[in-house]
Amino acid sequence: MEIVKRRLAALLLAATLTGCSAPPEGAEPQPMQPAERSLFAMNTYMTFTAYGNGASAALERAAAQIGEVEALWSVTREDSEIYRANHSGGQAITVSEETAALVAFALEMARKTDGALDPTIYPVLAAWGFTTDSKQVPSQGQIDSLLAQVDYRRIELDGTGLTVPAGMQLDLGAVGKGYTADLVTQTLREAGVESAILSLGGNIQAIGSRPDGTDWRIGIRAPWEEGNLGVLEISNAAVVTSGGYENYFEDEAGTRYWHILDPATGAPADSGLQSVTIIGEEGRLCDALSTALFVMGAEKAEAYWRENGGFDMLLVTDEGEVILTEGIATRFSLRDGRTETVRVLAA
Amino acid sequence: MKWKKWPFFLVGALLALGVVGSVLVLQRPDTNLVEVVRDGEVLYQFDLARAEDQVVEVEYEGRINTIEIRDHQIHMREADCPDQTCVHMGWLDSAAPIVCLPNHLVIRFVQDDGELDGVAG
Repeated sequence: MEIVKRRLAALLLAATLTGCSAPPEGAEPQPMQPAERSLFAMNTYMTFTAYGNGASAALERAAAQIGEVEALWSVTREDSEIYRANHSGGQAITVSEETAALVAFALEMARKTDGALDPTIYPVLAAWGFTTDSKQVPSQGQIDSLLAQVDYRRIELDGTGLTVPAGMQLDLGAVGKGYTADLVTQTLREAGVESAILSLGGNIQAIGSRPDGTDWRIGIRAPWEEGNLGVLEISNAAVVTSGGYENYFEDEAGTRYWHILDPATGAPADSGLQSVTIIGEEGRLCDALSTALFVMGAEKAEAYWRENGGFDMLLVTDEGEVILTEGIATRFSLRDGRTETVRVLAA
Repeated sequence: MKWKKWPFFLVGALLALGVVGSVLVLQRPDTNLVEVVRDGEVLYQFDLARAEDQVVEVEYEGRINTIEIRDHQIHMREADCPDQTCVHMGWLDSAAPIVCLPNHLVIRFVQDDGELDGVAG
């Protein structure tokens, strides 16, 4: 009898060992297979991964939604609302609620950053060739005359009535992807998705945490190099990086010119920063600030953070220093072998 | 005595199965599988661990991208496009794919390296 019992115990033990991957009793069934969707839109490559029931259908809805807003906001499509506003000869046109909300946000961020972000910089960007196929250094005279048409304060938005003065161009490129990420996040959440990771051409937005409850691990690209500077561990957050390395060209002398222009000079912003990563709840704020703080430089960025708060940042300086705000100090780890010094800003 | 011993073998076999099974389940495959995707269509798959050095050309609307595999690494060697962003990206080394936007071409790991869920930048 004793032997039988022992055998039984051993059998049970073996059974529990083989069952190591079965979910504990009462646990939610966790579908491990994610739904994935990727698409080319807004001049970037987007990939979405979502977990849970209905994730696949929700991603299809999100993809359709992106197509819709891109059709409204494209600066080059002749049937977009932004194109119509830019070619109205200074007349007010009526735009959709979505477009009005995005324009209002872009103008608000331009005001808050004192024009470091200016959604009317497009004509200068075009002169540098960053919007077309032929990148070139424009003459100072050309830049100066185009800068006369750059001033976000002259854009009028009255409800859904939008007026872009003749000769000016409104371009929502610096905030559009972040805003779209927020819309997609909302769509997925409403569909019941509690765990998803979205990448809109390097704009990352995380819904919830990984399906196993741990933080998402997001690499932060090392400027001008292959590979990553380090890893950021986050849940329920947007992570957006801006850096000159993303889009640039070199002249014959080897001077680099990149796509983030300082609206004050019309030339590539050279503020002493190599890249700016903003971490926050909303993609739109992160998108706007990553560009604006890149233009401002480290000192003004720190001042802006102290005054406004509501986000964390990771700055990489020309001297190879990494400056972090305290909210992400324990969430960021430099990759092994990196030689950057790390400085933490305390509130 | 034989009839008394077989349950022990059974238990032993089950135990061994359990251990092997757990190891298989817990160990992530060390993947080096990359794929070349044009407009959502997978054109090529390579296992970088085994692939020989080679050059592959992919065409999109008359424009050619030249992909090179050398020393078990993959990169975009040349691209028939104005911005050359994909060429600047260098060798594929993380969850961030190499993307040629104008030619709708993507080079990516089939599974991410298991370490990162995404890359900002």
